[in-house]
Amino acid sequence: MAPPEVHHLFHHPIADHSFSADQNTLAVAKDTTVELYKRGPQGFQLKDELTGHDKTVTGVDIAPNSGKIVTCSQDRNAYVWEPSPTGWKPTLVLLRLNRAATCVRWSPSEMKFAAGSGARTIAICHFEEEDNWWVSKHLKKPIRSTITSVAWHPNSVLLAAASTDGHARVFSSFIKGIDPRPEPSAWGERLPFNTVCGEYMNSTAGWVHDVAFSPSGNALAFVAHDSSLTVVYPSAPEQPPKAIVSVSTQLLPFSGVIWSSESEIIAAGYDCQAYKLQGGESGWQLSGTVATKSRPGAASGHEESALNMFRQMDLKGKTKDDTKLDTVHQNTITKVRVYGPPGQGASKFSTSGVDGRIVIWGI
Amino acid sequence: MSVTNWRTINIDALDPDSPYNFDLSTLTPSVLPIASSEVQSTANQIRQLLRGGDGEGALRGALDTAPYGADERGKEIHLAAVIEILQSIRQSEMTPILNRIYGSEGGSEALDVLMKYICRGMAQHSSPGSAVSSPQATGFSQMGSRNLGGGEGSGQMSVLLSWHEKVVEVAGLGCIMRVMTDRRTV
Repeated sequence: MAPPEVHHLFHHPIADHSFSADQNTLAVAKDTTVELYKRGPQGFQLKDELTGHDKTVTGVDIAPNSGKIVTCSQDRNAYVWEPSPTGWKPTLVLLRLNRAATCVRWSPSEMKFAAGSGARTIAICHFEEEDNWWVSKHLKKPIRSTITSVAWHPNSVLLAAASTDGHARVFSSFIKGIDPRPEPSAWGERLPFNTVCGEYMNSTAGWVHDVAFSPSGNALAFVAHDSSLTVVYPSAPEQPPKAIVSVSTQLLPFSGVIWSSESEIIAAGYDCQAYKLQGGESGWQLSGTVATKSRPGAASGHEESALNMFRQMDLKGKTKDDTKLDTVHQNTITKVRVYGPPGQGASKFSTSGVDGRIVIWGI
Repeated sequence: MSVTNWRTINIDALDPDSPYNFDLSTLTPSVLPIASSEVQSTANQIRQLLRGGDGEGALRGALDTAPYGADERGKEIHLAAVIEILQSIRQSEMTPILNRIYGSEGGSEALDVLMKYICRGMAQHSSPGSAVSSPQATGFSQMGSRNLGGGEGSGQMSVLLSWHEKVVEVAGLGCIMRVMTDRRTV
């Protein structure tokens, strides 16, 4: 297995990151700006900076087809950035929130985006051609606390949201005139705006950090602060789900989760490394970490000369340098994202961390 | 005009959407209320097992019947029973017992409950005045070197600490995370 591709961009936490469809542009949320990196011969080079937010940027997403970038921030606003000959042209989107926006994602159709917030609201925004303006509609009920993360169903109508009230929910964000009528699925048949198609809690009711739909959209996975991962398989509209599988791990909690296929999930978080989970409706289990053995530089620690050893003992009172974690990320992983064209099964994924690193992993 | 101190008005109470006007218990896992008398009888059964020499069975039984829905008194009774069991199990037996519990069905959950009791037990004995230990502990106890030097409280603490270490070895840090996260308290 190829070693992971590590890009240490800066010494600052990365709240969110997103790759363009051709994987040559990388957008990284750093403090109050979004930095755009271009892939060069020596890794990623800083090319552009999107400034406009006046508080910490919490979410960034590049639409794969149109190339538009949406960003959201604790200043309660979102911007849509469009490429133009003179640079990136921002359009302010009034989310009409009274608390920070926490996360933002384009729908697969790229006609809408969803922004979660601390105001117990998810803003679903679409572009109104007549008024030349982004309009925000709110999903409110029955959210009781901050939304930590949102994830779209492949049909661009259903939206999953993770919340600090301990629930993972599935909503309909159907907007007339924008969305084609969705095919009936196990989540629901008639889906007017703000239909709650599912509301799930795990046994401890801890904060939910992240949610993800499986590639087919017929299962939902969420990770919570009780170090668990829960997978829900819905059976039919208005019916209790076919199966809810919960895995309690021995690890620190996961903060991000993606599906690499219908039977494999990648989760990463406070343990600073990514883990694979495998299973299906009958059960899931942790099957190990993703590629840490073949890490470049990992072997260099073994060959130590006697002189060096005594020098270290003299200088530091110890022979081993234990200021580094033996994981690739040196701090919590904040986001896990599929790397590569969307829709197909993921063979690679990228992680961003509090340590300012972006790492691209093969599965 | 009356003088109103606007700063002291609780604006959350005026907002119908505010969490202040919302029953937060609907967000927590539902627990069945249990009467203290019921907890007492379970605790007695568990002690019976313990007296019969089946420490592991008693521990497992106590962990599976954790009274989440009991009142403060009921929880105290169960806590005392669990601590009694923990103290009666020898150091060398801890790890094998924990491994067996962890490997069995629902074992991970049982160890989470055990960790809850360990934390609760530590919280209790570090606060002065909450004497769960029996009154005769004030006299010089002839049995066991455990009580020498530190009295009953510190003896219990050292037992709990070594259990804590062993539980983390078996169930990992995730177990501590679940204790801190879980809304169902013991």
